[in-house]
Amino acid sequence: MTVTAVAPARRARLDLSWPVLIGFALILCALIVLPMSWLVYFSVTDKGHFTLANFVKLATDPTFIDPLVTTVILATSSAVICCAVAAPMGWLIARTDMPLRRTIRALVTASFVTPPFLGAIAWELLAAPNSGLLNQAWRALLRDPQAEPLFDIYTLPGLIFVVSCYTFPYVFVLVANALDRIPGDLEDASSILGGRTWTTARRVTIPLALPALLAGALVAFLQAMTLFGSPAILAIPAGFHTMTTKIWSLFQYPPKLELAAAASLPLLVLTVLLLRAEHMILGRRSYALVGGRQSDPRLVRLGAWKWAALGFAFLVLLNPVFLPYGALLNAAFSRVATQIVSFGNFTLRNIEFVFFELSATKLAVRNTLILGVSSATVGTLIAVVISYVTARKAIAGWRALAFLATAPIAVPGIVLGVGLFLSYTRPPFVLYGTLWILLVAFVTIALPAAYQQLQAAFRSVSVDLEEASRILGATRLQALAHITAPLLRTSVIATWCFIFVGVIRELSAAIILFTSETKVISVLIFDLNESGDLGAIAVLGLIMLVITFAVVIAINRIPGFGAIRLRNA
Amino acid sequence: MASVELRGLTKRYGDLAVVDDISLRIDHGLMVCLLGPSGCGKTTTLRLIAGFVEPSAGEIAVGDRVVSSPARTLPPEQRNMSMIFQSYALWPHMTVADNVAYGLKLRKLGKAIIAQKVNAMLTVTKLDALASRYPGELSGGQQQRVALARALIVEPETLLLDEPLSNLDANLREEMRFEIRRLHDEYRYTTVYVTHDQSEAMTTADIIAVMNQGRIEQAASPEEIYDRPRSEFVARFIGSSNIVKGRARDGDHVEIAGTALRCIGAKLTAGTETAVSIRQHDVYIMLEEPSGLENMLPATVTRHVFLGNSRDYMVELADGTALRVVASADQSVAQGTKVWLHLPPLRCRALMS
Repeated sequence: MTVTAVAPARRARLDLSWPVLIGFALILCALIVLPMSWLVYFSVTDKGHFTLANFVKLATDPTFIDPLVTTVILATSSAVICCAVAAPMGWLIARTDMPLRRTIRALVTASFVTPPFLGAIAWELLAAPNSGLLNQAWRALLRDPQAEPLFDIYTLPGLIFVVSCYTFPYVFVLVANALDRIPGDLEDASSILGGRTWTTARRVTIPLALPALLAGALVAFLQAMTLFGSPAILAIPAGFHTMTTKIWSLFQYPPKLELAAAASLPLLVLTVLLLRAEHMILGRRSYALVGGRQSDPRLVRLGAWKWAALGFAFLVLLNPVFLPYGALLNAAFSRVATQIVSFGNFTLRNIEFVFFELSATKLAVRNTLILGVSSATVGTLIAVVISYVTARKAIAGWRALAFLATAPIAVPGIVLGVGLFLSYTRPPFVLYGTLWILLVAFVTIALPAAYQQLQAAFRSVSVDLEEASRILGATRLQALAHITAPLLRTSVIATWCFIFVGVIRELSAAIILFTSETKVISVLIFDLNESGDLGAIAVLGLIMLVITFAVVIAINRIPGFGAIRLRNA
Repeated sequence: MASVELRGLTKRYGDLAVVDDISLRIDHGLMVCLLGPSGCGKTTTLRLIAGFVEPSAGEIAVGDRVVSSPARTLPPEQRNMSMIFQSYALWPHMTVADNVAYGLKLRKLGKAIIAQKVNAMLTVTKLDALASRYPGELSGGQQQRVALARALIVEPETLLLDEPLSNLDANLREEMRFEIRRLHDEYRYTTVYVTHDQSEAMTTADIIAVMNQGRIEQAASPEEIYDRPRSEFVARFIGSSNIVKGRARDGDHVEIAGTALRCIGAKLTAGTETAVSIRQHDVYIMLEEPSGLENMLPATVTRHVFLGNSRDYMVELADGTALRVVASADQSVAQGTKVWLHLPPLRCRALMS
């Protein structure tokens, strides 16, 4: 047989891979590369001239050195406290027969989704030196109205405490998940060789969970370091600054943008380094998963101690969940935010004020919903395309797209805010003062997590499933529409909800980028805190929590979608 | 009629040639097995034929049209092939009937015709009772049959199978092996079958292509591969052979443990290192040296296992070389006995290195 003919030319089919690559690379550049470039440019210039003066000032001026020291103390102590609390909690919940384990896990999730700035405001209600509910109770107990307050939340220890409350879930989730995944076989193997319960725990279980704890400590450090809301609420009235509040103060009149840019860079560099360290630690953790079929974890019997354990767990949860939520609920329905609700002072006044008198509410709720829906939609769309391209290695250059999509994870919200402010207040892109700049910020912040989730989802859909459709005659697009899309639907919806929740609670980038016309709920709460309107805050905060919990519960109803990771606001 | 021809087919990833200059012609209606250890390039070859991978050099022709070359590769959907994946790749969100009907729907056939064809195919593959189940609710063997039904219903010119039986248990594997061969004989498409299991290849294929490190070591009928392996690799891979190494003395003698063995097979050059293969059941154990027989080697029995219908001996030559011998169950020789081995010259094959 002679073989001469060449296959007929393919049906005229536009090769879309280059336009897609370039298009999405440009989008990602606008989201992340441009702001970071301006940030670096501004940090080394003064009115257009190259200079290192900004960094010199940063390194010599005590008004910059003090916040830096404060931030390091805050982050280190929070990380230590979080580990000290989260490790035993994680072990109790993943590895013992303590009662109510599921409930406690759910409650930790609740502290996870609480915006930290809201938690900080709640703790103002509880532990402000004079009016705080706990201090009032203390004085009542001593029967001495002039007694020194028991707690003062407006101090560095107070700030460390509040930050730890809302950072500890990160460590908890990492440790508990790691402990969940250690197969019981490994412990059984130790017992059969003669290891007693505690020997086994000490020699096998704990070493296997240690990398997760270490990574948790790094994450906690990172969260505490980049947090804006809690320090702004607690440190500024107390008269000290952290790096994030210092950067924010440089935006107040008269703005010192170059200094703000320079002050942002140490945060950025530290974040990158810590994330690399976390990656190295967690990257090696895979040895915990070696082996064939996994057996269920073996639960340690606590005996009578289980009630003590339960008491410990509830005592811990008092701080991030029960007390703050109680204080907020109380404030929402009380004439005076720091008085316990009674028949005498029960009121719906705050609700009325927020919904009918406060002119900013309508605007803020509208803006928040618009931004929530649009950021979630745009973010999901970008994440779907990029994760498809990278999971299937569909076009050359996918590595670059993957890198750009994950890069924002290393940019603290406030640093991104500064970068975007510098990028989009000047021609050709004047977005400042519009909702667009907030959209850009929120999409950028949400992108890494959304991308990672969807990429995992794409990976879980075997290429074979698409190829089986191709070989039976489906084009690439048909295979996507018939096979991949239906299989990924739940992940896509979950990602959308996840971004939506993240946007609702975002404060640190919004605080730099908002104008009076583009306020969102979180910024409004922050403003009301400055004017001392705590009852209104409580109402707004509860609205925010209701929306958030509704969406979180909806996500958890979606089968096959487990722990969610939220970023601190 | 669609023969499949690979000409100088090569696939490189970076510097590594996963498929290295393969040429093979498969006439229409034949069933070819690509046989080899994991990493030998057999699956990549299959994916090249399917069009999922583009060749770095060489080309693939189906009938008289070139479907793959470095310049242009016809996308898989335009090749009129079907494939059965190792994972089966059944779509978990579609019922058995939907899975099977998919290819027909893409061909825009009428609803009535589709229903009729699907029913017929489900009956042939004994799946009619399971039509409305989802793949997750089926056993491994049932899933396998769905994959088969889905691939066959579009009446492909070429059927590709990627280790289709490796996820089944032993009994089912044997059964499906004959089922695949039966369906092949019934529909007479060209089949390319990838496996690492030599008995699977022996029982199903018309031609076996033994692959190693991206190349085809030998492509021939199962009998030919079994009786006349051309290389050491093929002899070892097909199994149940002893491979002994020695130095060629002349054109047809190889010196092993001090004795010159007469061999058939590759032409030898005196003085070169040469491997000789002989089947385990072609070696005879004798208690005394007979006169007038060539190819006799002194040895010691080091292990003796009774297997019921045969005995499995391990013997050691004077230079320490170990041989395995399968002998009849009647002949019992105790461990440690000095014996003579007879290696019939017509069974000793000198191999190409």
